[in-house]
Amino acid sequence: METFSLLLQGFGIALQPINLFWAFLGSLLGTAIGVLPGIGPALTIALLLPVTISIAPTSAFIMFAGVLYGAMYGGSTTSILINTPGEAGSMMTALEGNKMARAGRGAAALATAAIGSFIAGTISTVLLTFSAPAIAELAFYFRPADYFALTVLAFTSVAVVMGTSRVRGFISLFLGLALGLVGIDQMTGQARLTFGIPALFDGIELTVVLVSLFAVGEILYVASRYRKDGSEMTPIRGQVWMSREDWKRSWKPWLRGTALGFPIGALPGGGSEIPTMLSYTLERKLTKHPEEFGKGAIEGVAGPEAANNAAAAGILIPLLTLGLPTSATAAVLLAAFQNYGLQPGPFLFTSNPDLVWGLIASLYVGNTVLLVLNLPLVGIWVRLLSIPAPQLYAGILVFATIGIWGVANSVVDLVVMVLVGIAGYVMRVYDFPIAPVLIGLILGPMAEQQLRTALAAGQGNPLVLVSTPLSVVFLVIAALFLLAPVLIRRLRANA
Amino acid sequence: MPNERGHAAAVGDSAKAAVPRPWWLGGLVVALGCLCLYGAFSLPQVARYAGIGPGLFVTLVGSGLVLLGLLLLIQIAQGETFTPQDTEDASGSEKANLTALLTALAAATVPVLTMRALGVPLTALLSFTLVARAFGSRRTMIDIATGAILGSLAWFLFTRLGLQLGGFMPFAGI
Repeated sequence: METFSLLLQGFGIALQPINLFWAFLGSLLGTAIGVLPGIGPALTIALLLPVTISIAPTSAFIMFAGVLYGAMYGGSTTSILINTPGEAGSMMTALEGNKMARAGRGAAALATAAIGSFIAGTISTVLLTFSAPAIAELAFYFRPADYFALTVLAFTSVAVVMGTSRVRGFISLFLGLALGLVGIDQMTGQARLTFGIPALFDGIELTVVLVSLFAVGEILYVASRYRKDGSEMTPIRGQVWMSREDWKRSWKPWLRGTALGFPIGALPGGGSEIPTMLSYTLERKLTKHPEEFGKGAIEGVAGPEAANNAAAAGILIPLLTLGLPTSATAAVLLAAFQNYGLQPGPFLFTSNPDLVWGLIASLYVGNTVLLVLNLPLVGIWVRLLSIPAPQLYAGILVFATIGIWGVANSVVDLVVMVLVGIAGYVMRVYDFPIAPVLIGLILGPMAEQQLRTALAAGQGNPLVLVSTPLSVVFLVIAALFLLAPVLIRRLRANA
Repeated sequence: MPNERGHAAAVGDSAKAAVPRPWWLGGLVVALGCLCLYGAFSLPQVARYAGIGPGLFVTLVGSGLVLLGLLLLIQIAQGETFTPQDTEDASGSEKANLTALLTALAAATVPVLTMRALGVPLTALLSFTLVARAFGSRRTMIDIATGAILGSLAWFLFTRLGLQLGGFMPFAGI
């Protein structure tokens, strides 16, 4: 029961008044950005990175965790009440949730979403609590070749799963890899791809790329294709929250959603879209009220919402135990660790137990705070939507520029912002996925270092890369990811 | 569908126009790959102990980009379609409004020119007003005031948090 005592110790840290304050602030911010269009958790955490200068790492990560979970709660509110999913993971909620709201059952939809999120978040955090240390133990035995194979697996899965086309997914990934190469080579001290610009010697910061892609690219894109929202909010005044029948129909989808969301969220490339879609499909198949689907079935809200929150906890597993980010949000969390000079991975559990366990305990705290913040206060959150879009996007750009300027007071960074912002615009117009760029940028240097360490240990013999069973398994799975679409097409053609 | 609005109008007039072929997109990817290869050219590919030198990974990534760019060109030749992404407040099926795009782009470019000389608050004022204008706001005086207040507040807040943002108005020596 060592885990248990460590967790108690974590609660001791998370429940300190100052850390409670940060958890509360993070949850507030997270819910707000979940409700607002144009900003997601990854961008918010990237813009908050500068505060890591002045606050302790534990407090910062407790706040970031609040942002991550809060965004999931906030996204569901707008999906249900005005049919605009704030996050990709809330798309499925909008299908049934908004129909429920229009049928006068909005309060029940909000309640099943919030309670389902709370239950899924809590169960996932329990799973995280007990599986993370075990996986971290396992990771101690990883050799450079295993790590290299694991990053290759992360690359292929992210490039294949995200977006609609493999070629475009890989182009995004390779753009990220190329950006990650810019700067002084860590092993030999040679400047690479800097083309004689001294400001590039330190490399291109993830924050700069992330903020440019997500904020500037988004603003350019939305500005060019802006359509004024004609949708109005469905009022929920005076409705019953959840009837006995609603509870009976909700609890199984909550649990099934959790079971889908957590493991898929933990996989590279899993993210939150796939588990929510799977959960929706599953509930639609299993329901006793198929006639209600498409017209406001409560199962279609309960399941995907639970899956969504469980996936958010799932992404923390590979991040904390292996240092492997599997989504844009995880990539920026990894950058936050690096800002503090910390490297997530098995050693973090032994070198910074207070941080790891304080963070895990704060997830329990954050979930409870969010339930309290969301159920009774939903009317206040929705009022955020009365900020007019022109001023909202203008404000986002102002914070984005300040965030980038604050990194190093570098005009070159601002030029990079414009160029990457234009790239972000083009990627949206031609439907390239964004996340692989960030994964490539942050994991590329790691992959290269492991590759060179492995090869150095093997005296340059490339066979060292497939010398351990684990590395072979990872590379085979990576190859399967790459070939799966082709194989499936062949099988279908033959059948 | 989560996004019924906006689509409804587009469905009707989606007459089978000629498939646009964005050759430049594939060409751009190939060019970026060549840029990497050019950068790799001057770097040693092998090192004495590690087996591979600082240049090899650059060569790999550059070659990858060239290859992927060629694949994209092949796809374009075969008539691959590109559907603009749907996001909140924006519909992929809408035609791009060039004036709005360029105004927003100007807003993003302003900081490059003004940040060092004019400082955060004035830059924020200019960017804010331009973006709001790109989104169709015509209450310019109110936008100018909002941008100035927002920029000044952000400057005070972040400077107090320990972030280096330069002077309040560097050209005036403040």
